[in-house]
Amino acid sequence: MEAVARGGRERSTPAWIVVTEQELRDLWLGGRGLVLSVAFSLLLSVIAYLVATNRALNFLEQRESVNLTLQVAIAVGALLALLSAADTVSGERERGTLESLLLTPVSRLEITLGKLVAALSLWLAAFVITVPYVWFLGRGVGLVGDALASGFVVGTLLAIFLASLGVLISVFAASNRVSLSLSLLVLLALFVPTQLPSSAQQGWAGDLLLRLNPMTAGEHYVGKIVTNGHPWSQDISWLLSPLVAAVVFSAAALVVGARFTGLRGGGSG
Amino acid sequence: MRFARLALLVVVLLLTAAQAQAAGLRLSNDRAGIATALGHKFVFHTTIRNDGATPASGLIAHLNVVDLSGHTYVDPEDWSSQRTRYLPSIPAGGSTALAWRMNAVNSGTIGVYVAVLPRSGAPVPPTTGPTVRVQIKDRKTLNSGGILPLALGLPALLGLLAVGVRVRRGR
Repeated sequence: MEAVARGGRERSTPAWIVVTEQELRDLWLGGRGLVLSVAFSLLLSVIAYLVATNRALNFLEQRESVNLTLQVAIAVGALLALLSAADTVSGERERGTLESLLLTPVSRLEITLGKLVAALSLWLAAFVITVPYVWFLGRGVGLVGDALASGFVVGTLLAIFLASLGVLISVFAASNRVSLSLSLLVLLALFVPTQLPSSAQQGWAGDLLLRLNPMTAGEHYVGKIVTNGHPWSQDISWLLSPLVAAVVFSAAALVVGARFTGLRGGGSG
Repeated sequence: MRFARLALLVVVLLLTAAQAQAAGLRLSNDRAGIATALGHKFVFHTTIRNDGATPASGLIAHLNVVDLSGHTYVDPEDWSSQRTRYLPSIPAGGSTALAWRMNAVNSGTIGVYVAVLPRSGAPVPPTTGPTVRVQIKDRKTLNSGGILPLALGLPALLGLLAVGVRVRRGR
């Protein structure tokens, strides 16, 4: 966190950018980000190989194969952002580096913002890795542009929502293990509706559940554009929940981070 | 008592009529066996002939798929999206033809047959056609559409990058 201290002296650069730069350096030059990216690309390779094989055997249409790959990329990319964010405060606390960070002339709001932005870099990297797979599977039918654009919009909203959720949990968690476990638990809970039988997803209650859950609503929206070829405006109401979740949770993460980040979980330190 | 006898007679007559209707039908296929490969589509045709003296109406033809090898799970829905057909009236001595479009979902040997039964739900045995034996050859798609270079290359490239960064930091 020396760079943060240096950043405090560099009046021309906003402190949150200095925090972001330092966090990005830790994440990417420290190797963690690259290792996660390798694991992500391996997962996408397996998925892309399977869907390409299934398409060759006529079991999957081209649009379905692109949609499946994109949905996995969005879900896992957002998961990476969540895991990184869940380590932000509780991780620093556990490694004993939070105290020196809080002593730098940078506000807690800027620290939280810098860490949140750095966590989102994992989603951006995941999206860049996804591009060649989607291009490969969707080429030739004018599908790639819409698939990538809708995937980027929905994935970014979901990544902001989940990374903010991770920061919130990390601020209050008593230990890093608790923070990571709780974050994963919440993510799994958000994915539960996708496992419900299709009959349970019908009717107004099922529809409402899918719309309220940012994960299911976002993935539904992407599916309609990629698989059904709908125009962007036709199912735009499905974007409401991811958008609201991204705005509300990022604002909450910044407020809570600025107010409660402390040496002990729950901001009591 | 008299009324009960009359009712019983009517029921027996109805059942006999329904059975006679089903018994007057004869089903035949244009193929006895089909050889294809996994993932391919295939079609066979069934002719339903009414050998009875009266028109046959209110009938349903249903396509059934059975695994003959005994070790492959078969979900008929996967094999054909339209397995139930509501037939038009078939005049006495006339016939109707149906085309069944199917997908070869698993490799192995399956049996396909068509059953015709009355829509009324009368408890009569359905009339079935001969079994079509479908032999499906397995297909290996190791490098579907050239996916392998991408599927192996990108993780390898990122892995090299990760190792490079680690080595550089170690110096």
